Amino acid sequence: MTTAHAEGAAGNLPHEPEKATLEGRNKVLAFWLFLGGESVLFGTLFATFLALRNQTNEGPSANELFHLPLVAAATFLLLVSSLTSVFAIQAMHRGKVAVLRNWLLVTVFLGLCFLVLEIYEFSVYVRHEEFGMTTSAFSSAFYTLVGFHGAHVAFGILWISVLIGQLARKGLTVVTAPKIYVSAMYWHFIDVVWVFIFTVVYLLGKVG
Amino acid sequence: MAQAAQSLNPSPPLRHDHSVKRHTGLMDWITTVDHKKIAILYLWAGGLFFGIGGLEAILIRIQLIKPMNTFLDAQTFNELITMHGTTMIFLGVMPVIFALMNAVIPLQIGARDVAFPFLNALGFWTFLFGGVLLNLSWIMGGAPDAGWTSYTPLSTTQYSGTHGVDFYTIGLQIAGLGTLIGGINFLATIITMRAPGMSFMRMPMFVWASFITSAIILFAFPAITVGLVLLTFDRILEANFFDTSAGGNSVLWQHIFWIFGHPEVYILILPAFGIISEVIPTFARKRLFGYSSMVFATILIAFLGFMVWAHHMFTTGLGPVANALFSVSTMLIAVPTGIKIFNWLFTMWGGQVRFTTPNLFAVGFIPTFTMGGVTGVMLASAPADFQFHDTYFVVAHFHYVIVGGLVLGLFAGLHYWWPKMFGRMLNETLGKWTFWTFIIGFHLTFFVQHFLGLMGMQRRVFTYLPNQQFDLLNLISTIGAGLMGVGMLIFLTNIFLTSRKPADAPDDPWEDGRTLEWTISSPPPEYNFKQTPLVRGLDAFWKEKTSGHKTMTPAEPVGPIHMPSATILPFLMSVGIFIAGLGFMFSRDDFGNAFMGFMFNNYLVTAIGLVITFGSMLLRSLYDDHGWHIGPEELEGR
Amino acid sequence: MATEQHPASNGPVKHRHRQEGPQRHIVVFVFSVVLTLIAFAAVAAGGVNATFAVILLLVMAVLQVFLQMGFWMHLKDKGHLLPIIFMLGGFFIAGTCIVMALYWVWWD
Repeated sequence: MTTAHAEGAAGNLPHEPEKATLEGRNKVLAFWLFLGGESVLFGTLFATFLALRNQTNEGPSANELFHLPLVAAATFLLLVSSLTSVFAIQAMHRGKVAVLRNWLLVTVFLGLCFLVLEIYEFSVYVRHEEFGMTTSAFSSAFYTLVGFHGAHVAFGILWISVLIGQLARKGLTVVTAPKIYVSAMYWHFIDVVWVFIFTVVYLLGKVG
Repeated sequence: MAQAAQSLNPSPPLRHDHSVKRHTGLMDWITTVDHKKIAILYLWAGGLFFGIGGLEAILIRIQLIKPMNTFLDAQTFNELITMHGTTMIFLGVMPVIFALMNAVIPLQIGARDVAFPFLNALGFWTFLFGGVLLNLSWIMGGAPDAGWTSYTPLSTTQYSGTHGVDFYTIGLQIAGLGTLIGGINFLATIITMRAPGMSFMRMPMFVWASFITSAIILFAFPAITVGLVLLTFDRILEANFFDTSAGGNSVLWQHIFWIFGHPEVYILILPAFGIISEVIPTFARKRLFGYSSMVFATILIAFLGFMVWAHHMFTTGLGPVANALFSVSTMLIAVPTGIKIFNWLFTMWGGQVRFTTPNLFAVGFIPTFTMGGVTGVMLASAPADFQFHDTYFVVAHFHYVIVGGLVLGLFAGLHYWWPKMFGRMLNETLGKWTFWTFIIGFHLTFFVQHFLGLMGMQRRVFTYLPNQQFDLLNLISTIGAGLMGVGMLIFLTNIFLTSRKPADAPDDPWEDGRTLEWTISSPPPEYNFKQTPLVRGLDAFWKEKTSGHKTMTPAEPVGPIHMPSATILPFLMSVGIFIAGLGFMFSRDDFGNAFMGFMFNNYLVTAIGLVITFGSMLLRSLYDDHGWHIGPEELEGR
Repeated sequence: MATEQHPASNGPVKHRHRQEGPQRHIVVFVFSVVLTLIAFAAVAAGGVNATFAVILLLVMAVLQVFLQMGFWMHLKDKGHLLPIIFMLGGFFIAGTCIVMALYWVWWD
């Protein structure tokens, strides 16, 4: 902490600035712990969805509802955004602040596109398919699981946007670096959850 | 953090000797990030809720003192048993556990604070506001009445029409958030903040127990988070998770609740195991017997704790395969627990045992907890459970493990560490009176309930008919409950009288302290250790004592110590969540008042709350906390 | 394991500056895309045996998650023992929940 802003101002950051201070290392470690807890959170949501996946209550079923091209597009967006956040961290490790900022901007943009697609998808279901939260146990489970993931994406977008602002104002320091690193971990984790969502919810829903 | 700073720069010049804004009075408590003060906050808040839960218990016992009693009606009784269970577990004993963990863990590992002082404060305030929200239900239209397990469909709007269960779901959600934050904080603290030389296998047993407990919290609380979200959605957004008429499934709630709920009871008991493992060696003047087997047993209990949840659901009808599996896994837990019991006995064996108040509680814990454990193995047998289920036998069992186990352990820990937390020794005579009245009252209350249960008395029923041979045993039970109340009053008197004495407790008030917390003053200075100690073995202080040293060898020269700044943001964030929770809960209500209706039905109140919370979070992110320094001159001046 | 070190010895660890290029991550990305395409194609083509499809899709998903967590989240790197333990712990409990949902919720 003492060395924190001193070194940042001097501009000679270590190779992995996110791990340069005890606080940075604590942050990264604690975020891993948090992700362990998040795994259980999503695991329970997946369990709920799996238990209720066939309970359509005479409403639309997964097979009738889902359109694969839309899901494929969303998947591709999120996958690419995960890659761009890797590039962002690589730029950070090289100390290239402008490159880092640009990759973060691309990541946020792709995340926004994903979110727009998801909102569009939900609105189609609600308006044209008469498939809302209260339709069936399946619909409740679907909206809760996928909505929780969407809320995570939305939070991630806000978070990374705030960090881009901080990067502009404070520069890359041993205080901002752990924040950026941790937000990238979060973003990858969101993508990992999405891998399971498109597999379990959409693809297996199509298979029946 | 200060340690790292110093290792990077042996004697850094004070590059930013930020001026310190010290708060006083109430502001000091609201803004503190000092783990020792947060411990005291947890203790008072937990003590308050414990008192509320205790009063609820006394009311329940008064209602059951005689058959066909009309002291309470059925609805009030249902609310009381629900709130007694919920309050005691989530708001009573867990905060007291967190109080001891906060007070002791940084000291025992030789750290100056926890890894995340800000999050530590946030965890406390979210817990407190969650607890306050839950208890507001008493004055805002009725408390939850579906039992602490809140089984569906009983807890759905169809059968529980008041906002009671909403207070339960949202209050626990907020309090649970605080617990999860605390758990992550302690995990990180124990992993990264240990003093030089303190390897994992040199950590005091209480630290190990807290570490494993925190890991269970990390993996168990997200499950109840989801469960509570689903129930909230069912009740407020008319979702269909547990509504069988729309394809939902009420067994799902039982599973999710107990996947969290069973690990939760190990979250409660493992810290007590840790406390007992500290108290018994100190007062036997012997090192803990079988330290590594204790560590192994703790880990094994934590793992098995996740694999046994369905033993709460034997009568639900999961089928013979599941019942057999969960029966066996439950019985397996007796093995590591037995290891612990024998290790404590062998620690005392041949030791110079002193029966001080903490040790009385610790020694009383062993047989009492063992009795609860044995009835646990009886309940683990699925066929027998069909007889025991939903009777007072179960009530007796879990009170033996929670009160006879955890609460006795907490009493031991509080008496043991009181001088370290407050600088004053509790009165020994009053302490022994507390012990004897409490433990005799406890056994009077709950021992007879085993037989009431075997005779067929159902739990959660507000009264019973005469001439079933229940009368005398219930009378005894109620008298016992009164005696436990007397024990609590003696304890409170002890605290009050002690608080009026001068704070003159020595560093090592029990004289046989084995661990690092006894090497510093009572209470410790806000930076805990002037110099981080060098740990040479298990029971670091005892090791130095046996080598003829009076103090620890420092691992660093005296240098400026970096401290985190006090901040009100954790408090504000919790206020925001509290407002958002209330707003969401009443979002579907018809207020008959245009303004109120507008504010609540459009989720504006919820939005205001969330803006406060996320706004505070944003402020925290935007403005770096540079902290402040305590200079070497000030350190030496003491 | 970095986290195992004692705080006082946790000074500025001298990192060997091996500047890894983007190639490896692009390879991971390509693998992820291929795995995703196989999964989508198997479903879109239709006519695949249901049991086979479930196994295939789950294998594709798990492989992809392993790749991304190993390379993109650096779990394969040194000093990640505790993160791996806690992530595996989380996945294990999540898996337990899913077993519960598949076998013990409905009566059959």
